[in-house]
Amino acid sequence: MNPLLEVENLTVDFWNQNRWVNVVSHVSFKVMPGEAMGLVGESGCGKTTTAYTLLGYRRPNSRIDKNAEVCFDGQNILKLPGSALRRIRGKRIALVPQNPTTTLSPGMRVGRQINEVLAAHGVSGGERQERVLDLLAHVRLPDPLKTAQKYPHQLSGGQQQRVIIAMALACRPDLLVLDEPTTGLDVTTQAQILELLMHLRQEQGMAMVYVTHDLSVVATICDRVGVMYAGELVEEAPTGELFRNPRHPYTRGLIASVPSVRVPRQRRRILLRGYLQRDQLPPGCRFAPRCLFAHESCFSDKQNLVTAAENHQVACWRWSEVPQLATEIVEELPQPEIVSAPKGAPLLQVDDLNCAYEYHRASLFANPVAKLVVRDVSFDIRPSETFALVGESGSGKSTIARTIAGLLRPPSGKVTFDDQAIAGKVGARTQDLRRDIQLVLQNPDASLNPRQPVLQIIGRPLEIFFHLRGKELRNRVEQLLDDVRLDKTYVRRYPGELSGGERQRVAIARALAANPKLMLCDEILSALDVSVQASILELLRALQAERQIAYLFISHDLAVVRSLAHRVGVLYLGELCEYGQVEEVYSPPFHPYTHMLLSAVPEVNTESRLVPTVRSDAAEGTGSRKTACPFANRCPWKVGKICEDVPPPLQQVSETHALHCHIPLEELRQRETWSKSTLQTAKS
Amino acid sequence: MVISWLRRLPPTLIIGMMILAFYLTVAITARYWAPYTHNKIGVGIPFSKPSNDHYFGTDQLGRDVFSRVVLGADDVLILAISSTLVATVIGGLVGLLSGLVGGWFDQLLMRAFDALIGIPFLVLALLIIAAAGSELSGDTRLLIMVVAVVYAPRTARIARAVAIDLVTRDFVTVARARGESVFSIVWRELTPNAIGALLVEFGVRAGYAPIFIGSLSFLGFGVRPPTPEWGLMIAENRAAIFVVPMVVFAPAGALAGLVIGLNLFTDGLARWIGRSQGAASG
Repeated sequence: MNPLLEVENLTVDFWNQNRWVNVVSHVSFKVMPGEAMGLVGESGCGKTTTAYTLLGYRRPNSRIDKNAEVCFDGQNILKLPGSALRRIRGKRIALVPQNPTTTLSPGMRVGRQINEVLAAHGVSGGERQERVLDLLAHVRLPDPLKTAQKYPHQLSGGQQQRVIIAMALACRPDLLVLDEPTTGLDVTTQAQILELLMHLRQEQGMAMVYVTHDLSVVATICDRVGVMYAGELVEEAPTGELFRNPRHPYTRGLIASVPSVRVPRQRRRILLRGYLQRDQLPPGCRFAPRCLFAHESCFSDKQNLVTAAENHQVACWRWSEVPQLATEIVEELPQPEIVSAPKGAPLLQVDDLNCAYEYHRASLFANPVAKLVVRDVSFDIRPSETFALVGESGSGKSTIARTIAGLLRPPSGKVTFDDQAIAGKVGARTQDLRRDIQLVLQNPDASLNPRQPVLQIIGRPLEIFFHLRGKELRNRVEQLLDDVRLDKTYVRRYPGELSGGERQRVAIARALAANPKLMLCDEILSALDVSVQASILELLRALQAERQIAYLFISHDLAVVRSLAHRVGVLYLGELCEYGQVEEVYSPPFHPYTHMLLSAVPEVNTESRLVPTVRSDAAEGTGSRKTACPFANRCPWKVGKICEDVPPPLQQVSETHALHCHIPLEELRQRETWSKSTLQTAKS
Repeated sequence: MVISWLRRLPPTLIIGMMILAFYLTVAITARYWAPYTHNKIGVGIPFSKPSNDHYFGTDQLGRDVFSRVVLGADDVLILAISSTLVATVIGGLVGLLSGLVGGWFDQLLMRAFDALIGIPFLVLALLIIAAAGSELSGDTRLLIMVVAVVYAPRTARIARAVAIDLVTRDFVTVARARGESVFSIVWRELTPNAIGALLVEFGVRAGYAPIFIGSLSFLGFGVRPPTPEWGLMIAENRAAIFVVPMVVFAPAGALAGLVIGLNLFTDGLARWIGRSQGAASG
């Protein structure tokens, strides 16, 4: 059989600040009809550029090497004139871009947007309307007739992505190019989209090129995987083979960096050092500066793909020795320490906390009524303990952190810190209290002032809380930079001159500067690459051990939570539905919601294709909640009317573990399938 | 090195800088080379045409127009720049504060500013001058204040719009959680990020200020004669526009050149700041 797509020697350069910067270098691969090929790598590795080139798209100020070929069905896409290209795009090769919210036109009904694609490829008017409804039904959107009339903002993120997939499928393409289609979506929504894609591929037999940084997604959906580093393809193999026998040191590092939701707290075996610095690439192997096994010759000798096994190619001359070398390094690392939750009096105690952003008055003179986002949440955190809050977006996790930080005044509930009830607003709190509780936010690009140098960013809390000045201040800032494993010379830099991981370290250093007892970490890893995530996790653990800091760790990533937290609370629509020691929450009996979340997480180490038991995306349950159990409408194990009318009782599983559900614990234990689904699940 | 740096600047910025440099040189050095003083009367026959003795002719009192134009440059520049600077600093800080604090404080302040903006430029200026009383009329400080009061609300609106966008950013959230005062947040967090927009606003306003002051002088409420203020000169000599056009066109042309120079300069500055910001974030 002839390949559907053949990429040969693809080299792309961008014009940046008066010189050409190489972005993709000599990439070659093939995609067979009906095959799903994955392209993975860290941010900035050129995977997206490669994907867009497959559609013949060229960024302004870029050049593609003359010898490059992208042959689709025998035609070189790069040499085609515009008109011929337009006939292929959308019809034979379709694209699903990353961010559904910005991809759809906000002022146009979604039905019309799909209609446009059909019209552009000459489908007659009468037929079009029918096709649109058919497509919407195909991507399993409820009530196609109504959905077609909606505007994008009336749909949830998952639904928007379905509309975009429907647009891409409109002309039954032979090849679907997907650029991070599930990044930014909730894990449950992601599971549904992946399941839909797998189903559609089986049904329509189209080929896919799937670009992502998420190895577990690739493991779930792709037949073959290409690993990219700094614009080069460094390894290519069938999915199972790649995850069983990764040959390239980079691939090994990437795989080791991914935390597993199925394995208890563990130390990563091999971490990737540093990060990709495009301006410091050696003439030889581009990965050499970060490679644990690099030889002197690696820096000067170009590495080309060689065949390591059947269908398995790797660009590293030491590929046969790497597994051996890797085990030696593992032995050098200290064994993972399983730490149990510390005992003692709680540092922070939250009792029946309610949070609200808005207040409504029935009439001008009526008392304002809070529109609750978080209801009656209680938990406590002990010194040097990590308490994690998990849940989908909109569950109120960040709201709780903001309330504890004093940015929101809670309408009711009590927050006690160090045995003292604390004031709602930050302005009313004592200086000591403001110092003891520090906040670190999700996106380091936004949380650091782009116009302040690092010295000022980290120095400000030192000025306020410890009245340091001049040389003293500078020394302390340098010490803090050292604590977060950054070089002293960084004091002069501005955030724009740092990588994402370095920025997050600076943000952590700023929080540490106050010498806090409690750090509120709001999704601090979700904007970072896996390898960077792993190193920041290490840092958080080390800091906790050195300084006895307690963390309130907010995350939607269940694998990260399992590898860091001592205790976990699961939040759904502003209510805690389960809480307990981390291993208790990750083992049966599960709350139905916890079970749904866990089942939705894709895994690297399984060869199974997941069969998620997710019924609807998060947004469908939100809005005005009328049921007594907030989860009743989405619950796959719903008992009956009782769930809608009677608030579920708190069932104590052990001294530390409890959950809210009508279903008896014994039955919950029997119903669960997640911990039983092992590595041997059938491949679909 | 300097040349290559200059090459990267937008052309409008370079042309603007050259025009401004020319005006600045004239303003500083004119007193040493101007052929006559600004108030010496009868150096020629009143309303004589341009000649080798009087490049731009003479006005109704027989004063040398060329000397008056070049000697007036420093007054015009100082008035325009200082008044706009006061307006930008006050308007900018108030706008940033208003955007940060929000709520009823913001609403009250902004509606008051809307009311001020609602009154036409000149009417508002005349109201203030009238209120200040006749003994202050023609005082430079009063003129600076008038321009500041008229411009500050407009600058405040721009600053507030910038602040509204900035206060939702996480670095402001973090500063709030640290318990920083509003003034500290305005100064440390907002101002460095708003400075680009304010600088451009300053330039545009500074370009209009000479026209504004000129109009006031034309109406007789600006600087007092015999100060060689360009607007005043246009007013004094307008009767002769058909006899000796040059005595009106010379100050008018000087004013127009300055406004064009300031606008080119600030337009180029805006582009240049935008470009360097883009490079820093990308």
